[in-house]
Amino acid sequence: MKSRRVLSVSVYNQGTSVRTSLARPAPKPRRIYMFLRFLCVTSICVFSLVRLIAAEPNEKIGYNRDVRPILADNCFACHGSDSGTREADLRIDQRDAAIEAGAIVAGSPDESELIARINLDADDESLMPPTGSHHKLTQAQKETLAKWVAEGALYEPHWSFIAPVASEPPSVKQTGWVRNSIDQFVLARLESEGLSPAPQADRRTLARRAALDVTGLPPEPQWVEAFVADTDPNAYDKYLDRLFSQSTWGEHRGRYWLDYARYADTHGIHFDNYREIWAYRDWVISAFNQNMPFDQFSIEQLAGDLLENPTLDQQIATGFHRCNMTTNEGGIIDDEYAVLYARDRTETTAAVWMGLTAGCAVCHDHKFDPVSMKDFYSLSAFFNNTTQAVRDGNISNTPPIIPVPLLADRTRFNELPALIAESDAKIVALEAAGVEQLKTATPSVREIADSLPRNESLVFHAPLGEGSGDTTNVMIEGRLVPLSSRGALAWGDGQTQPRALVAANGVFLGAPGVGDFDIRDPFTVAAWVYPEKPNIGGSIIGKIEAAEGLRGWDLWMEGGKLAVHFVSKWPQTATKIVASNALPVNEWSHVALVNDGSGTLDSLRLFVNGKEQTDRKIANDTLVAAKDNPSIRSSSPLMIGSREKDSAADKLRINDVRIYSASLKPREVNNIGEASLAMYTASLPMDRVDEARAKMLARWMLSIRSVEYRGAVAARAKLSAEEAAIRIRGTIAHVMSEKPTPATAHMLNRGEYDQRLDEVAADVPAQLPPLGDLPHNRLGLARWLFSDTHPLTSRVSVNRFWQEVFGTGLVRTSADFGVMGEPPSHPELLDHLAVQFRESGWDVQSLFRTMLTSATYQQSSRHSDAAIHSDPANRLLSHGPRFRMHAEMVRDLSLWASGLLSPTIGGPSVRPYQPPGVWEAVAMPESNTRNYKEDTGEGLYRRSMYTFWKRAAPPASMEILGAPSREVCTIQRESTNTPLQALVTLNDPQFVEASRKLAAMTLSEPSLDDPARLQFIGQRLLSRSFNDAELKILASGLDKLRNHYRANQEDAAALLAVGQSQKLDSLPAEELAAWTMLANELLNLDEALCK
Amino acid sequence: MNSPIARRRFLTHTSQGIGYAALASLLGTPKLSASESLSPLDRVGGVAGIPHFAPKAERVIYLHMVGGPSQMDLFDYKPVMNDWYDKDLPESIRQGQRLTTMTSGQARFPIAPSKYKFAQHGQSGMWISELLPHTSKMVDEMTFIRSMHTEAINHEPAISFMQTGNQVTGRPCLGSWTSYGLGSLNADLPTFVVLVAEPSNKEQLQAISGRLWGSGYLPGKHAGVSFRSKGDPILYINNPPGVPSELRRDTLDTISQLNQLQFQAIRDPETATRIEQYEMAYRMQTSVPELIDLSSESKATMELYGESAKQPGTFANSVLTARRLSERGVRFVQIYHNNWDNHSNVGGRLPSQCKDVDQACAGLIQDLKNRGLLDSTLVIWGGEFGRTIYSQGQLSHENYGRDHHPRCFTMWMAGGGSKPGAIYGETDDFSYNIVRDPVHIRDLHATILRLMGIDHERFTYKYLGLEQKLTGVEPAKPIQELMA
Repeated sequence: MKSRRVLSVSVYNQGTSVRTSLARPAPKPRRIYMFLRFLCVTSICVFSLVRLIAAEPNEKIGYNRDVRPILADNCFACHGSDSGTREADLRIDQRDAAIEAGAIVAGSPDESELIARINLDADDESLMPPTGSHHKLTQAQKETLAKWVAEGALYEPHWSFIAPVASEPPSVKQTGWVRNSIDQFVLARLESEGLSPAPQADRRTLARRAALDVTGLPPEPQWVEAFVADTDPNAYDKYLDRLFSQSTWGEHRGRYWLDYARYADTHGIHFDNYREIWAYRDWVISAFNQNMPFDQFSIEQLAGDLLENPTLDQQIATGFHRCNMTTNEGGIIDDEYAVLYARDRTETTAAVWMGLTAGCAVCHDHKFDPVSMKDFYSLSAFFNNTTQAVRDGNISNTPPIIPVPLLADRTRFNELPALIAESDAKIVALEAAGVEQLKTATPSVREIADSLPRNESLVFHAPLGEGSGDTTNVMIEGRLVPLSSRGALAWGDGQTQPRALVAANGVFLGAPGVGDFDIRDPFTVAAWVYPEKPNIGGSIIGKIEAAEGLRGWDLWMEGGKLAVHFVSKWPQTATKIVASNALPVNEWSHVALVNDGSGTLDSLRLFVNGKEQTDRKIANDTLVAAKDNPSIRSSSPLMIGSREKDSAADKLRINDVRIYSASLKPREVNNIGEASLAMYTASLPMDRVDEARAKMLARWMLSIRSVEYRGAVAARAKLSAEEAAIRIRGTIAHVMSEKPTPATAHMLNRGEYDQRLDEVAADVPAQLPPLGDLPHNRLGLARWLFSDTHPLTSRVSVNRFWQEVFGTGLVRTSADFGVMGEPPSHPELLDHLAVQFRESGWDVQSLFRTMLTSATYQQSSRHSDAAIHSDPANRLLSHGPRFRMHAEMVRDLSLWASGLLSPTIGGPSVRPYQPPGVWEAVAMPESNTRNYKEDTGEGLYRRSMYTFWKRAAPPASMEILGAPSREVCTIQRESTNTPLQALVTLNDPQFVEASRKLAAMTLSEPSLDDPARLQFIGQRLLSRSFNDAELKILASGLDKLRNHYRANQEDAAALLAVGQSQKLDSLPAEELAAWTMLANELLNLDEALCK
Repeated sequence: MNSPIARRRFLTHTSQGIGYAALASLLGTPKLSASESLSPLDRVGGVAGIPHFAPKAERVIYLHMVGGPSQMDLFDYKPVMNDWYDKDLPESIRQGQRLTTMTSGQARFPIAPSKYKFAQHGQSGMWISELLPHTSKMVDEMTFIRSMHTEAINHEPAISFMQTGNQVTGRPCLGSWTSYGLGSLNADLPTFVVLVAEPSNKEQLQAISGRLWGSGYLPGKHAGVSFRSKGDPILYINNPPGVPSELRRDTLDTISQLNQLQFQAIRDPETATRIEQYEMAYRMQTSVPELIDLSSESKATMELYGESAKQPGTFANSVLTARRLSERGVRFVQIYHNNWDNHSNVGGRLPSQCKDVDQACAGLIQDLKNRGLLDSTLVIWGGEFGRTIYSQGQLSHENYGRDHHPRCFTMWMAGGGSKPGAIYGETDDFSYNIVRDPVHIRDLHATILRLMGIDHERFTYKYLGLEQKLTGVEPAKPIQELMA
């Protein structure tokens, strides 16, 4: 202890540097204390200029306000919560630990090592922070720390981790200014800083501002006029009512939300192919338009799938976490991306609802925030339990997905399952009755055979049912021929015969001259097969000649799956297609290959039990690509069960092989299988027929004999077709779907996917309220976010909505409410609004109404001298919000003002004008979003939120205006002003065309003179008329434009040709061109571009 | 504020330089004329206190070979491999290194010696493949790093790592960092320009997306401006048809006058910024057409770059444009050349890849030297990783494929304070593992920054509560041996 006291001398003995020498006598405590007081007073005066919230000179030091920022910036990296980087085993982010270690002696700065160390000379190697750390405390900071220790070194939890409590709005002097509680908080602060609020904005300014904030569009001029003329004291409220009732409200709010949700129309990585996920975007719009309570809005997005009996909409809402970037790059390691996906979802959730930058804890305990590595991985576990495969397949409908019928189809779509069930039940009942009938009126084999249409194309039929011996009788083109095998035939129980051939290597039946087909010959091969083991690989039936480069065709088994080869030379000119699903083992399946002879990949189709195997893998496709039309005819005889020597589908039972020299229809393929089985069954005594076969025979009998049954089957087919049609008309939704097992994750060393540490269960960060009774799954997490005691959700949400309106949040770092984020400019106001928002039932429109009706919001945006100098960023809100609108709003404004804007809400994304080559320059050749094809008509004029968002190349003009790539969650867009932005609004055809349409609109009223035309444009773009000074400038500008286009008619024609929309030939070209450029100038006004 | 020096300092030392400068000009202080070119001391923007040291490189031209060029077919000469043809890569060399799932299923890893002839060149005696005859002549101006390594094994993360110091996308890239730290040297042109060159062979292209030149958490104005090889060089740079430049001037004057009235009424500094940015847009419109018009280049210069330099969009054309940009003070030019992903057909494709770039690279170095710009312009060449010594797919003496290989690859630098004639680092006989002087991407970044006068440790940007760095949190150091 003594040594510490000695060290501390250097704090106050300025100029007499004390190195690490421990030999000096301690000064008298009293002197230190007085000196300390002096320093603290002066330091705070300096401080208040740079801090938003400053301690009054005599106020006690506050840990959160005054001390933690200093410690966090300078000390916690080495002496904080991260055990991995902790130095000297000392942590000073916790009071007990700091006191225990002697760093702090509460009440005695001169005994505290912390205070001693920070006051050493710059060249002292014990100085803290160390010289090499690039951190240096100011004198004022040193004194703040000393005073804090002197006052007892009291710690507080970080402000945002303490649940908000609504405090009474403070009293103010200018009570007449106040319209609601927001204003009391704001005014009290302004008054204490010696600033005055700006006067109220005029009604036109206010009308435009509010419309842009509520709907994202300027107000209709007649709305503005009505509001300006309205003498009712509630005129503004009535005006807001009108705005809030517009469905553009939902679009505008939704547009912000899509940045948070990282919504885009492509997968994002590598091919960056199309993802059909716009149903989620439309859900967001609709939710805002219903003014869905924010808790419900959030819970459905995070866990709609886990709600009891979730509705279609609740499932669509879960698209929120299907908006993450995914990949299908060859060569990736799936585990690595699984970790990245869960990480993205965790970070997005933490940022959107908790304002926490959880990402830092991926590799280490968070250095500053109380989020440990374990907390991070426990949180990530909630998102680590999905049934979604890592690879997106480069397809637009990566599972899990659900169908989303058009609104008009939804009622019917919802009715269909019941109707289908009813229809099925009727069929089942009829079939059951049919089974009874079988006992008394068994159909004859002949009756079944006669019911089938004659098929002259049957060129080969091998029942394969002898059951003994090495010879089998087959039908070749109507003639019965005995075939002898090479090798001893094996037999097992049959399906359409009492016994069936069992294929084995080296044992084969060869039929010369049969099946001699080429690619362009339509034919069908069918058989009943029974795998006696899994993963069978080999030939079922075929005509492949090994000596001829494996030329020929076959029906093949590949790893238990049905497959087909068409080979001229393997593998250079060969097609191989493999069905995706394996045939069931120890069960009979009816399999078929149909070649329609068209010579494409689609011409080869595989069927299992009458169902086409559309989900299939093209394992080789060099035959269809071959230009010289190579033949697949081989000299091999038709082989059943094996080729010459080997390659049998070993342990596969085969019955009833049929070859047709025609491409059979799916229905016919199905009939072959069923009829062969039915005929055999009909030949058996009914008491020896099992239930499944009896049912099948009954179906055949009924379809021959019963009109009612045929009607029921046809009705059922119609319902299926209707359902399929609705699916095709509608879209799909990418949804979340949970594995049934508990959600867990592995902690990962340094965040590396292959360096797994302990497994942790899904849970919330330890420093926040516990989950309690809530389930440890996404639904529990979502509900927990909206529990009454949660300190973050309400604040973070209110702050983000505030940011949408005022440009900057009360907490400027709206994505970071942690220790390293900025503290709120008006903490009590933030808490007041947070509590109010929660208690209103999370009513979003009500929150916006509160903000928009405040006097704070209604201020003029004129910057006062005082504000320019003392508060240039307007954090104290001494004037109204004014800033350049987001990219989408700028474009929408021009479309709206020119009358081009389409009012359609929702639907697939569109492709408006974009310079050629933007996609092509970055996309891979294989990408299906490589070639940008502009839409025609309405697609050019939809609101910008509907523009197709390709992550690798976001909409070019919007990206220049600061729109994010949507690769990751963006809570706060950048507000930059660059020259490239000016080039967009001046030169982009979209803006030039809009200028022309706006010009045409004003010119098409022949009675107006120039000033009146200018005012018309002013009212559309700025919601106001121009003053005399402006009119003079505009008139002079117009003169120059007219002169130019009168003298240069070809320029006029060229300018007017921009854009696809209809040209108005009735207007004189030079006049329209001049006004087009004038309208373009006005679209480019700072006032037009700003809210 | 009225003295030019004070004004310059004001411009340099305010982070939002332009906004306040524009405000100042509206309030009556003189402004720079559009034609006044800025010396390095006259930069606009940048961070106070940076550079930390006297910079060697004022500008960078970074040539990125997308896909990962094969080091053992170009620079990393491994004659011993001829005895290993079609033999299996020994497990003692592979050491369980993770492979991409493209070759991890291969039954064998047969060694494919390079089919190309190598020779030593210059004073340095650097071994170079016959595929690079022009580059070979410049070896004494160049610094070769044969011991680059990375952790990424697939393109997306690997390119991202090379450009941003992080495998996960979304961080600022090298060019953005440079723009942020050092600011602009030419008020009429962007600070950081990207050119995507078109390869003549397009067999195995990789994605090249805007995220590679994104500014990440740095302000958006530091993102690369992509000059396009076809159509407008900068998006929307051309006036609409029927709007000649004089008329554009007139319209901008009208906009400016009205905006000034607005500024007087509302006094929002952002309005002043906008006025200034519209002027800058106009200056860009007038300077860019001249910039990309190569007709003023002498015949001798054109010959340095080769015939394809005349053809828009080629690598040679892009490199020549890069020199013109550098000459005009553009701080960082990034060129991407695609199609180096030789999973198969090294024999068929590598020669055309090399032909695309070889002469232009040599020409650029010579041209910069002729103009006295080489000392202050750092040229960097390299891909995102190397390739495997073993063959992916079919192996013959004449042809083979190579998979991604992160554990070693070769890059080179020239000029800008890099060490002429240096050869650094060494790999084992299989060009599989580094045996001497490894250089991680982070070290390369630290070295590049050091050449630009920046201490990578002190070059930070506060984001998400952390002092973010290009070189990240793991140790990194500038390599002294790479610097003159």
